[in-house]
Amino acid sequence: MKKVSVDPITRLEGHGKIEIFLNDEGDVANTYFQIPELRGFEKFCEGRPVEEMPRIVPRICGV
Amino acid sequence: MAKLKLALYWAGACGGCDVAVLDVNEKILDVANLADIVFWPIALDFKYHHVEAMPDKSIDVCLYNGCVRSTEQEHIAKLLRKKSKVMVAFGSCACFGGIPALANFSTRAEIMERAYIEAPSNENPNKTLPQIKLKVDEGELTLPELYDDVLTLAQVVPVEYFVPGCPPTVELILKVVNALATNSLPPPGAVIASEKTLCDECDRKKEDKKITKIYRTHEIIPDPQKCLLEQGLLCMGSATRGGCGSLCVKVNIPCRGCFGPPAGVADQGAKLVSAVASIYDASSKEDIEKMVKEVVDPAGTFYRFGMSSSMLKRKHLQRK
Repeated sequence: MKKVSVDPITRLEGHGKIEIFLNDEGDVANTYFQIPELRGFEKFCEGRPVEEMPRIVPRICGV
Repeated sequence: MAKLKLALYWAGACGGCDVAVLDVNEKILDVANLADIVFWPIALDFKYHHVEAMPDKSIDVCLYNGCVRSTEQEHIAKLLRKKSKVMVAFGSCACFGGIPALANFSTRAEIMERAYIEAPSNENPNKTLPQIKLKVDEGELTLPELYDDVLTLAQVVPVEYFVPGCPPTVELILKVVNALATNSLPPPGAVIASEKTLCDECDRKKEDKKITKIYRTHEIIPDPQKCLLEQGLLCMGSATRGGCGSLCVKVNIPCRGCFGPPAGVADQGAKLVSAVASIYDASSKEDIEKMVKEVVDPAGTFYRFGMSSSMLKRKHLQRK
């Protein structure tokens, strides 16, 4: 099956890629959207002082 | 003069550095007069294969923001290095690891577990984790591999210049643009910011007084004229490079060190620990123990933006 990759997806905040699979007729058989990135705010914010959160979590998205 | 070719990339980043470039407002037109942008995912629709097709060293300057913590980010760093004459670590993540480098206090497994399985907003009964390779009915899907360590750009490729800041200020970005326009870049290896510490540039009054208690930021309203550290707030100014325009201390909140260590300082956190130890009025073991208790998150405060480039680098890993 033919695969068309859109990598990276652009003009938005964040990281992503799209894989489009085409069947023998050239029609779209399936499409997958993937996020190739993880920084781990869910983990590294744990245990840090709550009053510092306004200075850490804005860096989840700066756009 | 022929137009320069400029590339901008975000690796492990939030996009704030890219937006900072746009924050130069109408000066972006000067950038457009000076340079053709050949790659900039946030704003322009170029793909990785376009970069791969470029001749080596055909990009004049690459501003690379974000940390390096996956096979993809390292691959793109190496690709852009090969294609670029000048590589700039742009922003605190690329320079020092930045906020994402706080992940160096955990392991990859702990981060994956928390983000994809434990987090209360998840519904993942089969405890599925991202796979580097996954067979699907139509073929195979791949994802980059996440590293245990968050790295700086210079830890994976040679870097000519460092522009610190979370994000770099408009003034610094214009300094870089002007240096490019006039072909007057400093010698390679330079950090494009101040050579002084933030403390040296701070207008607040210092009285060389000792402190008897370290306060958390919500516990007091500091005097806006006086040194924050001398009021008992952990301010990173004496261990941090200046050049930011004193943005945080001007609004009465202590510096967290996003410009990294000043010239001649190897470890920002150790420098601040030394400053706190010398200002704290401790004459007994009990005083010292009290001081240590009052610093609620020493690692996350002293190494808020600089874990990757610090001497610690990360929490010790228990290798099997």
